Amino acid sequence: MGSKGLRMGGVDVTEKILFNVVQVLVVMLVSPLVKGVLNRLKEAVQSKRGPSIFQPYRDIWKLFHKDEVISDSATWIFRLTPYVVFITPAFVALLIPVLTGYPLFFAFMGDMLGGGFILALGGFFATLAAVDAANPYGAMGASRTRMVGFLAEPVFMIVFFTVSFVAGSTIPYIVHKHWVNPPDNFFEPSHVLLMLAFLMLIIAETGRLPVDNPSGHFELAMIDESKGLEYSGRGAALMKWGASMKFLVLVCIYLNVVVTPWGLAQGESLGELLLAIPLVFLKVFVFVVVLVVIESSLAKLRLFRITEFLGGAFITSVAAMITRLLEG
Amino acid sequence: MTDLQANTELLTKLNGLAAGLFLLTAFGMIAMRQVLACLKLFVWQSILLAASATILGFQHSSVHLFVVAVITVGTKSILIPWLLVRLVSQEAYARREISQVLNIPTSLLLGMALVILAYFASSPLLGGSQDPFVRMNLPVGTAGVLLGAYAVVVRREAVPQVIGLLAMENGSFLAGICIAPDLPIIAELAAAFDVLIIALVMGLLTRRIRERTGMTVVGKLASLKED
Amino acid sequence: MELLVVLLVPALSAILCVLPIGGGLAALSTVVGCLAVFLISIHVALTTITRGHVIAFPGWISCDSFGALILLLVAFVGLTTSIFSLGYIRRVVPQEREGKKRRYYARFNLFLLSMLAVPAFSHLALVWIAVELTTLLSVFLVSFEDTSEALEAAWKYVVLTCMGAALALVGILILYWGMKIAGRGDFTWSGLIVASPDIPGPFLQTAFLFILVGFGTKVGLVPVHTWLPDAHSQAPSPVCALLSGIETTTVLYTIIRLLPALQGLSHGPGSWLMAAGLASAGTAAFLLLQVKDYKRLFAFSTVEHMGIIMFAAGIGGTSAYYGANLQMVAHSVTKAFCFLAAGSTLLVVGHREIASVKGLIRVSRPAALALLTGSLAIAGAPPFAVFLGEFSILKAGIQSGQEIPTVALAAFIVIGFCGVMYHVNRMVFGSPDEEEARVRLPGSVLVALGISAIPVFLLGGYVPGILEEMLRLAAASLGR
Repeated sequence: MGSKGLRMGGVDVTEKILFNVVQVLVVMLVSPLVKGVLNRLKEAVQSKRGPSIFQPYRDIWKLFHKDEVISDSATWIFRLTPYVVFITPAFVALLIPVLTGYPLFFAFMGDMLGGGFILALGGFFATLAAVDAANPYGAMGASRTRMVGFLAEPVFMIVFFTVSFVAGSTIPYIVHKHWVNPPDNFFEPSHVLLMLAFLMLIIAETGRLPVDNPSGHFELAMIDESKGLEYSGRGAALMKWGASMKFLVLVCIYLNVVVTPWGLAQGESLGELLLAIPLVFLKVFVFVVVLVVIESSLAKLRLFRITEFLGGAFITSVAAMITRLLEG
Repeated sequence: MTDLQANTELLTKLNGLAAGLFLLTAFGMIAMRQVLACLKLFVWQSILLAASATILGFQHSSVHLFVVAVITVGTKSILIPWLLVRLVSQEAYARREISQVLNIPTSLLLGMALVILAYFASSPLLGGSQDPFVRMNLPVGTAGVLLGAYAVVVRREAVPQVIGLLAMENGSFLAGICIAPDLPIIAELAAAFDVLIIALVMGLLTRRIRERTGMTVVGKLASLKED
Repeated sequence: MELLVVLLVPALSAILCVLPIGGGLAALSTVVGCLAVFLISIHVALTTITRGHVIAFPGWISCDSFGALILLLVAFVGLTTSIFSLGYIRRVVPQEREGKKRRYYARFNLFLLSMLAVPAFSHLALVWIAVELTTLLSVFLVSFEDTSEALEAAWKYVVLTCMGAALALVGILILYWGMKIAGRGDFTWSGLIVASPDIPGPFLQTAFLFILVGFGTKVGLVPVHTWLPDAHSQAPSPVCALLSGIETTTVLYTIIRLLPALQGLSHGPGSWLMAAGLASAGTAAFLLLQVKDYKRLFAFSTVEHMGIIMFAAGIGGTSAYYGANLQMVAHSVTKAFCFLAAGSTLLVVGHREIASVKGLIRVSRPAALALLTGSLAIAGAPPFAVFLGEFSILKAGIQSGQEIPTVALAAFIVIGFCGVMYHVNRMVFGSPDEEEARVRLPGSVLVALGISAIPVFLLGGYVPGILEEMLRLAAASLGR
């Protein structure tokens, strides 16, 4: 197919672009399913029946068909934010290994730091919008989100530095190979500590327990949920979808870059790519189970204790860096 | 030949894992508020120490180290926690420490500085040695000693102070099993016995303090001064 | 063989003390045991002079002349303290609490056992264990009086010294590693000296640093000395005599014994020891001026003297080592005497405050005389033993060219002298606020005071030949 097209590195360019697009589509389409599975599992652990795993799809569909109500005092930021929050994870999905183990067309457009900044852009706009709507709970939640965000920044940085130092590059596709060749490398102390630190980071960034309760309805205690409070109709749908995409993107970075690249397509045919989808989904499912266990066994931290939590993550990541730097 | 080499590689990595987690538990002792969580961390730390001893035992093919591992698990993971829980009342374990001398994030940062200090202190000693086990265990062991000392200084409750002391001994043992693996068994047994006596003595003293003053916050006992 | 007996006798006494047979069996067995230990240690000392070594298990339990010197000190102070305990404990513990008295004697014996073990063991790992045991077996002696201050003192004592011991363990393990690299010699004091030329410098330095800081905590090195005034004042007086008189000395002995192995180092341990010694002596001298409790006074004086001995060891050279050893002996016997005097004073006045004690000489002449003599002796006045020791140290310091530090040390000694005498003078002389009846001290207390006073006076003028020989041998064994 397309044998007359440009060839780059032995693989058809059009194929690479196609794979990239497929990757983004997969992230977009599968992320609500992941959210649905997570919610269902959490409820099941509590001996409840829980909503269907396809419920988030239905919610998004329903919201798209509702009217939007926007406050008078809201500016263009408020209107723009849902789109930003939706698009930024999609952009990052272009850069990271989701389905393939080899770099795709857009892979060198930005590295991990770039991906981090793009995700932060989405968060930045969400915080601004929360303040923009003049909802008092929005402002409170926004300031708390910022606090968690700035405490999580050093951890991000150190984790990325260590990972890049180990692999000699900052492109995610090149980095992930290092941890599995040879297989002993998986047990390297810096690797294990990094996995731990990044896990704590994901919990903080996506607003899961013990940092924040995603199913809480009490606005005074909300941190991450508060950004979607004021939205309705299409805006709400895009915010929800964007949040679940961000979750899936972070999980993919975690699983495919830091933990293990197993299950990713190594070959270049479309069939292999499509085969990788259920394999990657399986990995994500295992992660979701682990997350459900963590969430169900810990209580929400009081606000000032979040500093200690993220301080612990920071120390773990610095310990990973030091054990790597000083022993290797 | 390559099989042996690969074996050593795997053992090195596993030992590195044990040492890395050991370091993490040492940090946990500074950061954990609940007294019972501290004790559990100590149990895990001792198990990791025994794991490192077992790995070294495989590496050096020495039964001696296996015996050390067994003794460690027996005394530090089972006997001493049981002793500490029995001697000090249940109530002392149900509480959490309200405040330390410094707040926890600052303590964690200082702990990091201590780890770097430990690495620098051990580097002249590691100068010639190519043994990967020594390169991993000695700095981590020294760091464990320093972090344990810091935990003792910064905490106000009696039981976490005792656990910090025992963690210091754990750290020196971790360093010891790699740099002195053939220390005579009598010395190892006596040292294990000695740690047991420490736990016994301090447990009894804590009980006495609790009976006399009604609390175990030893940081508040500060009446002996010059003025 | 004798060494094993020396170690077994206190153990046996401890077992006897635990038996619930009333009527002072515990006290009696303790005194008899201590007497036996003292006689055996004299025999050991004589043997080491003639034969050089007393060996029970080669490589594990053996003693040379330096060790025998310390053994003799421990035994002597143990003997006088046990006699003192007879009267003191009978006065201080209420009549019906037999169990408490028995526990005291049992713990006393175990503590003495651990202190005898330190010079008797020659394998370094065992020495570490013995030092650790001296702490652990004396904790409950420190908290004997069961007040919250005593418990606080015991807690600080055990926490700080165990921290120090853990640090010292790292140092000893590093030494072991170094010896494996050197490839020869067994892990004893003499083996260390044999192997030391082949041990790489950084190993020796790092190990020494760890051991200095670690065991220095037990000796009262500033700034980790904070437990010392508390523990050495809250414990019952005979125990204070043991703690200040011999426990600190035995641990200092282990630190000093490392010195011959460190000869080859460039910027050596000598300067560290001197700095540490000066810091200790200076801090203690100034803190002496503001004490309110006369037992704390003597405890700070211990810190000061430990500093002086460390300074002397740091100067190096045979005459400095001789001075250090003489000072160790002098300080042990004198400090034990001082604490026994303080204990007698406590029996007379019932509390430890300096400000409330006036005109002691009118209330109890023996106690006042003992206190006065003891203070003069420990402060360094001639013609007492401590003066001789300090004099030889200062002389060695000037002779080896370290003028400024020596002058500083002399200044600290003078400040300490003034501090001690100022406080004790107020206590002994002056007119009491109200007329108090004369208090009689128990006979055993007086006997103990008498016996412990003998070397205090004797060593000031004349060092017996045997002791002289031992000191000389000990100094020689420290090298150069």
